[in-house]
Amino acid sequence: MNSKFQIQNLNFYFNSEKVLKEINLEIPANKILGIIGPSGSGKTTFLRSLNRMNDFEITSRIEGKILLDGKDIYNSDFDVVALRKKVGMVFAMPVALPMSIYENVVYGPKLDGINDKNKLSELVEKSLSAAYLWDEVKDRLKTSGMRLSGGQQQRLCLARVLAMEPDVILLDEPCSGLDPISTAKIEDALAQLKKEYTIILVTNNTKQAARVADNTAFFLMGEMIEVGVTKQIFTSPQKSETNDYITGRFG
Amino acid sequence: MREHFNQEIENLKTSLIKMASLVDEQVGRAFDAMETGDIELCRGIKSRDSEVDAYDNLIQTQCENILALFQPVAVDLRFIISAMMINNQLERCGDIAVNIAQRVKKTKEYHSIMLESEILTMGKQAREMLKRAIDSFVNNNCELASVVIESDEGVDKLNKQIFKFLIARMQAHPDVIEPCSHLIVLTRHIERLADHATNIAEDIVFYVDAKIVAHKKKLDKFNRDEVN
Repeated sequence: MNSKFQIQNLNFYFNSEKVLKEINLEIPANKILGIIGPSGSGKTTFLRSLNRMNDFEITSRIEGKILLDGKDIYNSDFDVVALRKKVGMVFAMPVALPMSIYENVVYGPKLDGINDKNKLSELVEKSLSAAYLWDEVKDRLKTSGMRLSGGQQQRLCLARVLAMEPDVILLDEPCSGLDPISTAKIEDALAQLKKEYTIILVTNNTKQAARVADNTAFFLMGEMIEVGVTKQIFTSPQKSETNDYITGRFG
Repeated sequence: MREHFNQEIENLKTSLIKMASLVDEQVGRAFDAMETGDIELCRGIKSRDSEVDAYDNLIQTQCENILALFQPVAVDLRFIISAMMINNQLERCGDIAVNIAQRVKKTKEYHSIMLESEILTMGKQAREMLKRAIDSFVNNNCELASVVIESDEGVDKLNKQIFKFLIARMQAHPDVIEPCSHLIVLTRHIERLADHATNIAEDIVFYVDAKIVAHKKKLDKFNRDEVN
């Protein structure tokens, strides 16, 4: 197995509260890892620790190691900006920037110093196509991104991440506010994207994890209870807690 | 949501238990007729098979509804899959009760041959297997299910012995070729009944232990042969 991330003995604290406990996990490259668990189980905190988004929480503290391609991302000499370029993130609430669709997509690459118009146009088409949005917006790229529907805005956010050509895409409940058709489009996009990217998807919708994830990890009260091939987790989970959660007996 | 789901599962289980009880009764009457030679006991078996068929359709619909509305996973999914398979096995057992009753009527003049062969012993064993399979389903009892699975070999052996006995009898007494042919078919029905009981037991193991044990011996042998 070619691991993209290796998480070793990870503990995470907010103030003195331990919110992630002894997480050990290998995340294979070019696969979709679904992370499921009830509210407060630590799945979003875990996701945010993978591109050091938790650094903004000044009371947070981490123990253990998170290796990305073998390098510890919490090492003092690790370039955090480069990390966030390499590990992009899509949030639950789609936030289109108050500018055109085109400008939304090229915003990151421009900040990164890319000014060649041909290169930028190429990036826009490639990213919007990969996000399953190109056909719907190709004739109105100058229109404000804020005029798109919620589902389209979420795919625009995905395209914005893809434009930075990352290795890993983190998604934090990307379909929580979307209708089934928009959700299906995002899921179709993810199935294609995993050929080039490693995808980590936090979802409260266990059925979504069952549909799209290659592997699934179940978190509960800061612990990773079980991780395995999705088919196995959803047919014969090894831990009773996993069984109870996915069958709706609690959570 | 979970309460609604539990209620649907409970309704499904109740239907299956009612169907199993009816099938057990049908098979019991057919075997009693076979044992005593009292063909009056066969009366009503065929008409009541429609009730078994009605349960078959009802259970299929209940399973379909649960799958469509709740998309169960893990142990719940295995229960629905098992319920569908057990339903199918029970429906076949109901048909076999009708078949046995028909053969008992056709061989009523030759009850003595039946008594000489070990058909009654085989029938008792198959009946016991079905009863135990149903009990293992009602009580989620994998140990009892395993006993049923192990018992199938004994019934198969008896089947072969009885077949040889009946062939020998036909060779020695050509005048009993017709009744003995019916008895061979009857034996075949009993052997199938034991197979269905075994399948039900295997479905219980799948539901409770998440293990597929069907065809295990055959596949183990196949794998050994492949290695060698």
